[in-house]
Amino acid sequence: MREQLLKSFVDMDEQEAVKIARELVETDGGAVAVLDTCKEAMEEVGRLFEAGEYFLSELIAAGDMFNQIMEFTLPKLQGEEVASLGTMVLGTVQGDVHNIGKDIFKVMAEASGINVIDIGIDVPHEKFVEAIKEHKPELVGMCCLITLGVDSMKRTIEVIKEAGLRDDIKIIIGGGRVSQAVMEHVGADAWADDAARGVRLSKELLGKE
Amino acid sequence: MVSPEMQKLAQERAARMQAAIELKEPDRVPFTGLGGDIVAAYAGITAYEFEFDFEKNRQAAIKWLKDFPADSPVGGIGGLDNLAMSVAFVDFPDLANQFFMVNGPMNDVLNMKFARFPGRQLDEYSSRQFIGGKNMEPEEYDELIADPVKFSYEKILPRIAGNLADLGSPTSLATMARLGMVKAQQAAEMRKTGAALAELGYPTGGGSTFAFAPLDYIGDHLRDLPNLVLDIRRYPDKVKAAAEAILEVLVKWTLQGKAAGAVQAGFPLHLNEYLSPKLYREFYWPTLKEYILRLREEGMRSRLFCEGWHDAHLDTFLELPAGWGIAAFEKTDVRKAKKVLAGHTCISGGIDVGVVISGTPAEIDEYIKRLLGDMMPGGGFILGPNVGNLPRNTPIENVAAVYEAVEKYGKY
Repeated sequence: MREQLLKSFVDMDEQEAVKIARELVETDGGAVAVLDTCKEAMEEVGRLFEAGEYFLSELIAAGDMFNQIMEFTLPKLQGEEVASLGTMVLGTVQGDVHNIGKDIFKVMAEASGINVIDIGIDVPHEKFVEAIKEHKPELVGMCCLITLGVDSMKRTIEVIKEAGLRDDIKIIIGGGRVSQAVMEHVGADAWADDAARGVRLSKELLGKE
Repeated sequence: MVSPEMQKLAQERAARMQAAIELKEPDRVPFTGLGGDIVAAYAGITAYEFEFDFEKNRQAAIKWLKDFPADSPVGGIGGLDNLAMSVAFVDFPDLANQFFMVNGPMNDVLNMKFARFPGRQLDEYSSRQFIGGKNMEPEEYDELIADPVKFSYEKILPRIAGNLADLGSPTSLATMARLGMVKAQQAAEMRKTGAALAELGYPTGGGSTFAFAPLDYIGDHLRDLPNLVLDIRRYPDKVKAAAEAILEVLVKWTLQGKAAGAVQAGFPLHLNEYLSPKLYREFYWPTLKEYILRLREEGMRSRLFCEGWHDAHLDTFLELPAGWGIAAFEKTDVRKAKKVLAGHTCISGGIDVGVVISGTPAEIDEYIKRLLGDMMPGGGFILGPNVGNLPRNTPIENVAAVYEAVEKYGKY
């Protein structure tokens, strides 16, 4: 059953994947098996995306399937030890009110085992600082879609530095306008212009790959 | 009165663009110029002033264009795509296009839910932003397919325009009357801006109107992009039928722009990078291709701005007749596009704004030199930024470095 779930999930057969997951979750130890299989499937979808075989529509469809399945799986996992790779504070930077890219990344990051604290869109610099103090993440993810976001990321990182928190965290920037040059310009540790690369690099920054 | 010298300059600029579109080598590489939030910053005004005050906007554009002249101008108050309203009023050719872009003052009247403007929903230094939204349920596809215009007017408009929520109410009637007044004021301002640009040697007339891939109408205004890509898997036949029904309405709308003098139609593509080649060819491209061909039959060229990555879909352009129009690229490397499209499609773009934001003048000089060295030979290339907006804090010496490099290396 796990193999069937994995295959139908990766092949984007939504109805079949959800149906199998519903059956599997009712078996002994099934919830853990569903969670592990779906995580594996998401990783494979990410790999296919980076290989150029899958596109954003497959990432979105996979994220939607993952969420659908988790809705009935997570309640059955209460009391189980679910391993976390680490914590990430994630937000779209001040001045930018877009969320699609952030949300695609978020579900993939969560599926990979990262505990994501989503602090929203148009996030003021100080709110990143407060969230870092409160959640003590290993990683901070900043997103932007528009070019204005580049200035805003730079300023946010400066404010984090001024608060004396920069050395405690790794920073990954993501979104349509980022690149190696932008990463160096704003002073981040990694960059990704797609969610699959973002998750892979986040895991590397957490020392998990 | 426009001086003969400036009239000549305008003709040269127009001819340069036209030659590239016709896949020839002009005298110099045509350059669309840089612009965006930096134009307001350069004039020392806020984004809010630039978006809401025509006089300040015009003076900022003039200052920018005097220091950074290119083959096409900046200027005028920009707006956000408001296609659902053009669709709703498509049977009124004097109005439909007027509603297509909702700018700041228009949005003060309409209160569109997808729109965010500086000094209003955003701080006064922010860029205006389109955030889309889900305004239709999947159960409503049949209604959309049966009559896209009626559906847009009766169902979508009340859901997206805060002040048209109750159609026929005093509030909605007052809103339309106020919108008419704002548009009349803006038309007068736009004429002034047009005259100021003509005095700086920019072509008037022969302009561009808008067009939209039918699926982008669904993605931007009806279902939102993530829901639409799920719909493609869950209700494939409905999505196809909807695209075909919408095509008819949109072609009619774009041709209204032609009747008003436009010779070119600009398509901003949004869903393209979301789709695999298989889904692109099955769902997105057929109605887009037919749209381009139907405009061509009417004597219009198309310009497609291919947002994001378009690498996987480059070869579809070859299904169009050579010289059909312009493909502008954001992330796709224009060199890669040239390998596929040389001699067939005019290519536009090439300057990564990330480099302009974060490079040094020397790096930028080298970057433009290499870019032009690769892209100019054979013609059919229009140089421009990969996205239209340079942020406010872009170093001005970097902007200058771009223009100086184009001057140095842009001669054929």
